[in-house]
Amino acid sequence: MPIKWILHWQPNPGTTVNTQILSEVSQCAESINGVKEGRWKTTLSFYKAMVREQATANDFPRDFVGISLAEQPSKYFLVIRGQRLVVEAESSIQIIMEKSQSYKTRVALSFEGNQYQLGDFQLRVGKVVPMNSENMRGIVMEMEYLPISSWEKSHQIMGEFFDLWQEALSKRSLPGHFVHNEPNFAEYGLSDEYTVQHTAVQYANIMAQMIATSQSAQATRN
Amino acid sequence: MECVVQGIIETKHVEALEILLQGLCGVHRESLRIHELCLKSAPNLGLVSSELRLICDLEQPEPTWTVRHIGGSIRGAGAEQLSVLVRNVAESKVSKNALRLFYALGYKLDHELLRVGFAFHFQRGAQITVTVSSVNKMLKLHATDEAVPVTPGIQLVEVTAPASSENYTEVVAAVSSFCEYLAPLLHLSKPGVSTGVVPTAAAAAASLMSDGGSTTL
Repeated sequence: MPIKWILHWQPNPGTTVNTQILSEVSQCAESINGVKEGRWKTTLSFYKAMVREQATANDFPRDFVGISLAEQPSKYFLVIRGQRLVVEAESSIQIIMEKSQSYKTRVALSFEGNQYQLGDFQLRVGKVVPMNSENMRGIVMEMEYLPISSWEKSHQIMGEFFDLWQEALSKRSLPGHFVHNEPNFAEYGLSDEYTVQHTAVQYANIMAQMIATSQSAQATRN
Repeated sequence: MECVVQGIIETKHVEALEILLQGLCGVHRESLRIHELCLKSAPNLGLVSSELRLICDLEQPEPTWTVRHIGGSIRGAGAEQLSVLVRNVAESKVSKNALRLFYALGYKLDHELLRVGFAFHFQRGAQITVTVSSVNKMLKLHATDEAVPVTPGIQLVEVTAPASSENYTEVVAAVSSFCEYLAPLLHLSKPGVSTGVVPTAAAAAASLMSDGGSTTL
């Protein structure tokens, strides 16, 4: 399947994300001749262990997430980032998790927005919001290149496209920029050939980075 | 949900049972080789302890994995009258590294089994599956090649059919009436209610073997 990079918006120190920035980013996609092609949505849930004694909570992973992707609605992906583990399941695994009453959702987020076609590239720009809320927590972008499915082989063209994108966006003097951090897929047992599991790992990864960024911003403010 | 009954049969009568099933179902048997890992939550995980079954189908060219949760059975006076157990089940196919995930989440291996035998899948008032298998235990962890029978000379027969809260009474009826055809060879009852082997098995088996299952039931 086509490879994609998933990037998140890093606000400049002292600033936060807002809908104005999202709207500027979307306009930028259109300004480079991106053709709007409808909506896209991903959801991510953080799970926490249900424990009988609170003191034992640390015995269980705290970075356990479940991811559902619009492109594969029948699938569900479970990622424990600390253990470099990604498991692909059917969406019915959520029922199993609910029935076994050992983990529950701590917080669920949705990533949603518009999709744009630019030749062989597809851009998806969206906001990160907690479920059942409009309170924006971040901005994400999926950058997909349709002709290539090898992570290595696509690296150069993706890098060049990202540079062009950053350049177009820089004209708008927004208080932040998109960051691309590559997870080490080999550590997850994933090969160079791109799969939907790679996408799940990237989502878990940017989520961790967004949390780290907001925590360090909070620490600075305090 | 699923409807389920179980029974046991002596291995020497399994061939007769296969002939009978073949005649009843009109489909060919499929080979069965299932590695089943029973996982239990660590003592301090979960508000109640939970059990999951991780099932690996070794019969496939590339083994496939499924996780299964068996929930409670339906209750009440009506349920007790039924000869078939109706219980909640949830299943999901999973990638082959699922065991690592459940270990990471705090589940422990309670026991593992290897079921070897055959299955029939057919439609008869419900989508019925009959499995006939010898249940084996592993002498070393995950060593499916060195498995030994738990009950030598005895095989487990299981009849299951998927159901929903709307249609389970019809499915129960379909499973019950199918089980009657097998009655001369074995008795099927709710899991956990052991009824042993039936005394007519030897005679019924001899009859089936002699006429190749052509008797109309």
